[in-house]
Parts: sequence; C-alpha cells; structure tokens
Amino acid sequence: MSVEVKKEVPSENQLLRETKTNNSDVSHLVNNGNSDVLTNTENAINIEGQVIPPQPELKIIRRKINGYVGFANLPKQWHRKSIRRGFCLNLLCVGQRGLGKSTLINTLFNKRLYDDVNDPFSEIELEKDIARKLQNISIDDDPNGVVNTNDNKVAIKALSTEIEENGVKLKLTVIDTPGFGDSIDNSDSWKPIVKEIDSRFDQYLDAENRINRTPLGSREDPRVHACLYFIEPTVHGLRSLDIEFCTQVYSKCNLIPIIAKSDILTDEEIEHFKKIIMIQLNEAGVELFQPPIYEKSDDIETVNSTKNLIDKYPFAVTASIDLVQALDGRVVRGRAYPWGCIEIDNASHSDFIYLSDLLIRQYMEELREKTNNVLYENYRSNKLFALGIKQDNSVFREYDPATRSIEERKLHEAKLAKLESEMKSVFQQKVSEKEKKLQKSEAELFARHKEMKEKLTKQLKALEEKKNQLEHSMVNAASVSASSQPTKKKGFLR
Amino acid sequence: MSTTAVHQQQPIDIGISNLPNQCYKIVSKRGGQFNLMVCGESGLGKTTFVNTLFQTTLKPVSLPANTTETSRMQHRGSIKKTTEINITRCILEEKNFELKVNVIDTPGFGDNVNNNKCWNTIIDFIDDQHDSFMRQEQQPFRKTKFDLRVHAVLYFIKPTGHGLKPLDVATMKSISTRANLIPVISKSDTLTKEELNVFKLRIRQVIEAQNIRIFTPPLYNSNTSDDLGSTSSNNDDIEDSQAAMEHSKQLIEAMPFAVIGSETRYDLGNGNTAVLGRQYPWGVVEVENDDHCDFRKLRSLLLRTNLLDLILTTEEVHYETYRKLRLENADVNSSSTSSDKDIVDGSIPPPIPARKLSHNPKFKEEEIALKKYFTDQVKAEEQRFRQWEQNIVNERIRLNNDLEEVQNKVKKLEEQIKTMQMKKI
Repeated sequence: MSVEVKKEVPSENQLLRETKTNNSDVSHLVNNGNSDVLTNTENAINIEGQVIPPQPELKIIRRKINGYVGFANLPKQWHRKSIRRGFCLNLLCVGQRGLGKSTLINTLFNKRLYDDVNDPFSEIELEKDIARKLQNISIDDDPNGVVNTNDNKVAIKALSTEIEENGVKLKLTVIDTPGFGDSIDNSDSWKPIVKEIDSRFDQYLDAENRINRTPLGSREDPRVHACLYFIEPTVHGLRSLDIEFCTQVYSKCNLIPIIAKSDILTDEEIEHFKKIIMIQLNEAGVELFQPPIYEKSDDIETVNSTKNLIDKYPFAVTASIDLVQALDGRVVRGRAYPWGCIEIDNASHSDFIYLSDLLIRQYMEELREKTNNVLYENYRSNKLFALGIKQDNSVFREYDPATRSIEERKLHEAKLAKLESEMKSVFQQKVSEKEKKLQKSEAELFARHKEMKEKLTKQLKALEEKKNQLEHSMVNAASVSASSQPTKKKGFLR
Repeated sequence: MSTTAVHQQQPIDIGISNLPNQCYKIVSKRGGQFNLMVCGESGLGKTTFVNTLFQTTLKPVSLPANTTETSRMQHRGSIKKTTEINITRCILEEKNFELKVNVIDTPGFGDNVNNNKCWNTIIDFIDDQHDSFMRQEQQPFRKTKFDLRVHAVLYFIKPTGHGLKPLDVATMKSISTRANLIPVISKSDTLTKEELNVFKLRIRQVIEAQNIRIFTPPLYNSNTSDDLGSTSSNNDDIEDSQAAMEHSKQLIEAMPFAVIGSETRYDLGNGNTAVLGRQYPWGVVEVENDDHCDFRKLRSLLLRTNLLDLILTTEEVHYETYRKLRLENADVNSSSTSSDKDIVDGSIPPPIPARKLSHNPKFKEEEIALKKYFTDQVKAEEQRFRQWEQNIVNERIRLNNDLEEVQNKVKKLEEQIKTMQMKKI
C-alpha cells in the first residue's frame, strides 16, 4: 500500500474559505454568527441552448452556524448510502491485440476477470481467429489483387463482474473491442466503438424518458465512464489510427491514454514518448479526462498530488497479477526478468499506481460525475436538438408567488375565455336553431293562412259570383217574367 | 475471495474501499439543498421551531404585540384569510458544509371559520413544484434547474390532548400521498407526560385508522442492504448499522414528536453552559433535553441522520409517483399517433399535459359566475322564446278566427245560394 492511499473521510481540515465580501450593509439582523443578507440578481446566464429568463429578485439569507445543528452530516449520510447502494464502473478498453489489455484489467482489479476461457485473446481464440482470417483471405481474394478487407470487424464484448473490498461493492463491466487495429485496412474501425458508446447513452436516455421508470440508480448505469486507450510502446509517437480514434471519442467519454507494456522502454524513452504523444494529442484537439482540482478548498497536498497525476499522462504502465519475489525478499506483484524485477505497485517502476489512483482510488466517482453531468448531457442535448425538440426556457424559474399568480390568472382567464366561447357558441347555436324553428313555424302559419285564405277568398268570390249570377238570373227571370208578366198582366189586366 | 487466499502475505489494495470517501468528498464540495415545509394553524410556534432547529433567526417571530398594526389591519380588513405560500431562502454553513435551506411557510392555514379545502394551497404548491421540475427535466438543455420539491412537511398539531381534528386528518391525508409527512405536537410543554403519552397514542391510532402514511426512517437489517442482499464484512459496519437501526426504532417510537421551540438560553446554575429553554415560575423546560421533549429526535430525523433519506424519498418515490401519474394521463389525452411515435423512438421525452390549475377559490367563483351568467342568458332567451311561441299561438288563433269568419261568410253565401236556387226552382 502506498502512502497516497490515506483515507480522508471526516477530514476536519481547516480549509481556507473564501471570505464573502458582499454588501453586508444590512445590520438590523443581529445574530450570533456573521450574517449578511444578499440580494440575488441572477440575470440571464448564457449556457449554450439554455437561457435562463430574468429571475425575480430574491432575498437570500447567508449564515454561518457556530452551534451544533447537524446538517453537516449529509456527506456522511451519502457515504453510508453509497456503501448500501454499491458502485458501478463501465470501462471501455481499446487497443491492438497483444498490448496487455486483459492483464492490465486483471491487475487493476486484482482479479482474474479474463481467464483462459473468456479471454478473447487467449491462445485458443487467437488460433481460431487466425485460421478464420486466413480462410477469409483465400476465399475473398479480390481479382484486382487487393486483399478484401471485409474481415475488418471490430467486435464489442462486455463482461461484468462483482468486486468487493472491505464491504464496498463494485459492479465492474469491461467493454472490450477485439479486432480494433488488427486489420490491414483499419479505416472506420472506430465506428463500431463510437456506436457502442452512443447506444449505451441511448439506453440510459430511454430509461430516463420512460413513464414508469425505476430509480436510475448508480448500479443500473450502462454508460461508458472511462475509456482506456492502449498505445503501442514504439517511441515514434502516435499512429494516425490512434489520433483518429482519440478525436472521435474524446467528447463522448473520459479518455485515458496508456502506454502499454512500458517495461520495454527506458525512463528517458518514456519521457520522450510521453512528450510526443501529448503534443500530438494537443495538436489534434483531443481533450483527456482531467481530475478536478479544488485549489480553494483542498489542502495543498491533495492539489499537488492531483497535479502530479495529470503530469503523468499518458500513463506508462506495466501490469501483472503474478507474485514475484523482489530482491529484498518482499513478495510483490510484478514481472521478474533476469536483470531485475519490476514491481507493479512501485511508482518509480511504472505509472500503474497513478492509473489505479485515477481510475479507482481517487477519481472513479469524478469520472462518473463527469459522464453524468457533462458527457451524457451533451449527448442528450445534441440528440434531442437533432430530433427537433424545442427548448422552452420559460420553465427555468425560481418559484415566485407573484409571477405564479399572474401566470395562474392568465391560464385561468384563458380557460374562462375558452369556456365562455364554447358556451357562447353552443348558446348562440341553440338560440339561432330555436329562432329558425319559430320563424319557420311562423312563416308556415302565415303561409298556410294565406293559402287557406286565398282558397276561401276564391271560394267566396266564386260563391259571390254565383250568387250574383243567381241574383242576376233571378232578376233577369224576374224581369223576364216581369216583362212577360206585365205583358201577361197587361194581357191579364187587359 | 480467491485472491486473498493467494496473496496471504500482502493484501492488495484495489482502491474500491475508498469509493465512499470519494462520494463524501464530492457531496462536501457540492453542498446540499433542503426544502422544508411547515404547516399548521398560526400561533403553534412554527417560526420559532425553525429558528430553534437551525439555531439562527431565519425569520422574526411575528408576535401579535409586535405587529399590532398589521393584526388590526387583518381584523379590520378581511376576516377571511387565505392560505399563502411564504418562502424563506437561506444558505447555511456548518463546519464548512453549505446547505441551501428553503423554509416554506403556509400562513393563514386553518385560520378561517370555514377551513374546508384550505389545504389545497399546500397540495397545489407541492404538485406545482413537481410539475415545474418535470418540465425542466424534459428540456434538451437543462444545466441549471430550480428545485423546490418539498423534502419534508412538518405538520404542527395543537396540543389539545384530545386528538386530531377533522381538518388535521384531511390535510395530513392529502399531504402524505405527495411528500414526506412528519407530524409534530407543538408547544408540548402544556401537556404532562401522561397526557402527552395518551395524546400521542390517540394520534397514532387515528393515523393508522385513516391510513395516513407518515415518513419513517428506513430500517435496514444489518445483514441486508438497500439493493442487494450481501453481508457486510466489516465488523464496525455491523455495529454501526445496528446502532443506526436502534436509533431509527427510537425515532419511530417517538412519533409524533412533541416539541418545544425557543431561541432564548437560560443558565440553569449547575455549572453547565446556558441551555435553550422556556422559563416558567415552576422551572425551565429544556429544548434539548430528551426527558422534556422530542426536539433532539426530530432534529436527528430532519438533519443529522435522515436528511438524505428525506431527499431521496422525495426524488425517487414522491416525485416519480407524480411524474408517472401526470404522464400517464397525458397519454390518454393525447392522440394515439404520438404514443405510436414513442414506441419507435424512446429518446423523445414523453409529452407533458397542460399545466394543472391550482384550486384557487377565486377562480372557482369566477367560473361559477360565468356559468351563472350564461344560465341567466339561457333563461332570458327561453323566456323570449316562450313569449314568441305564445305569440305564434295567439296569431294562429287570430288567423283561424279570420279564416273562420271568411268561412262563415262562405257558408252564408252557400246557404244564400242554396235558398236562392231553391227559390229559383
């Protein structure tokens, strides 16, 4: 065990706190602690895509408590809870065959995760693979004389295991990419790996969007938390495939480059090689995972050790799970050569201990935090944006009863207006229906009356005519008779 | 473990056992947030309690004597008070750990003659915060989120010694389905120990009978853990968790917590430092004395041991329940085409239904008024139609009479003609 592995649980460090020099002109609040009242005016902060609308001015009381209250126990409560819930790490390993990936994983977790059976690089598998490839070449030989490169298949193999140390449980998933860089034509061989990273983000996104979602617990996280990239110890710098891969993935996962099998390089060679690699990566714009440094609140020792850790990039590691006897008789994990013994856990022999600090002991949770808060969020934002989902910044607001009530009033008025227009339209429709009906019956009434009246008037006229006729005829008859009668009468009278 | 068997001489330190410490560090740096709601009739000592809990005057206590002006205004102005929401925001620092505390007060709760539905303001607030968070969570860019989801509701019960009032039962019932409810007997120094025990028993019985879910600290078996059954290899851990379980049991037994609040310290004259308490002619009630009240237990539940449980239950149980209910309803309401699309691509956040309006009594009144206006209009129109119909009937009668007249004339004529024809013949 090295010296750095000091536990820093309830570190009662007298941390240098930044003194808050805020407008503390509010003196009416007399308190046992130093108190000042701040007005929080968060104006629109621009965060790519998220624009926080102007917030109401809120009074925030800031106090330092001297007595015992107890909420400072929250980190301790998380500490306990995290043990109960357990941890998980999804580690992506990328590198050519024979760079000692399996050995490094085995050494990091001190467990034969890759034994001969499920080691994709074991002798048996290797032989099979070679046989297969030889077959492929002979069959698919291109007539143009170009070797068919269809064998450029990068496989994705995930292996999970449970590791426990002092009651702390870790669910480890190692995602291996056998076949990467092993073909003649390696162009696009990063594609299946990027696809795997994306599909793991998608799994998480789907789970998050589900209506019936189980708590997105730390144990059920499928996302890639770190990517170990194995660099061949050539001293000549990175190959174009290395740079291509790094530029493709650095924005999607925490990239940690490693110089594999560094025991074939001398210290000077390693230093030189490291420099070249860092320059190359820098030129390509590749960002590596940086453990956070809290200059203000961390003690100098921690800050320095973190800086030292970053300086060691890319880690030149040698790995071995085997126990050997060192010169002084200690039994250590290492590799024994006739000229000496490499101690794995010795910082002066290899950077293994730094890698293990970064990946597990000191910064695993920071790796997970960064994955969750930055990498995943970026992936999600881009994806949703590409899917055409509109950002509504109005939802990002502090609760404020005044604006809330205005909003409520608006909503309410809209609701009332809708209700009113609905009722109005129904009402008007009913009214006009009824009006039409009444008008119709009125019109019908008049029409019928008119018709009847006309009929009757006609009848009346006809009758009157008839009567007139009759009268006429009667008068005529009378006159006839009168004329005759008088004659008759005359005659009679005569 | 096989590895330990192989490497007997030197146990290899993988570093996994340091992970909880990383967690500790990250949380220490990040700080925390605690949204506490206090709920109960005025005069039950809510403000004093909060000030006592955080040992600092976050809010001045509004004694009627101090605020004669306002109270007179209240008495003169409106007898009918409405429940409001009042948030005190603060950032407290204890041992270099920063906690954002939002105390949500509900002044005016239960102060009316008719308190029917006055808990709606509280319920609306809790739901509204869940709703707001849900909307923020759905956005493509969501780096900054405003979270006022209520982590705990302290419900202050009047120390009557009799039991819970129907208002208490109704309010607690509706809160308990949405947030972590913690019932508290306020001003418990008015009850003797025997009275308090009887009172507590009664309250517990009602809570049980009415199926009110109150927050209880989780009881972990020393052999089983949260997520998967596994034994703790560390002896300290077992002792630790047994002590924690014992503590949790004590907390559960003490519910509902009887508390006293005070911001004044008294020297008991026994050489110890002055203690928080209330002085009576017959003695001093000490706030932080387990024999005098349950303040320390409640503080332990709220802050010292179960603060994280309160936060996580809110986020993982109450918030999820709300979200599920709302989104399920949205699915029913929205057209089937969108739900088909969901099956195709799970990356798209599920549609959110329109914002729910709060139970504002004024809104209800306005709605009723609007409806009444229309009913009146309908009635007026109906009246008009009835008149119209009557007119038509009258008109028909008039026209019929008219026709009859003509018809009579016709008949007369016919008869005349008949007689004339008869004569003629």
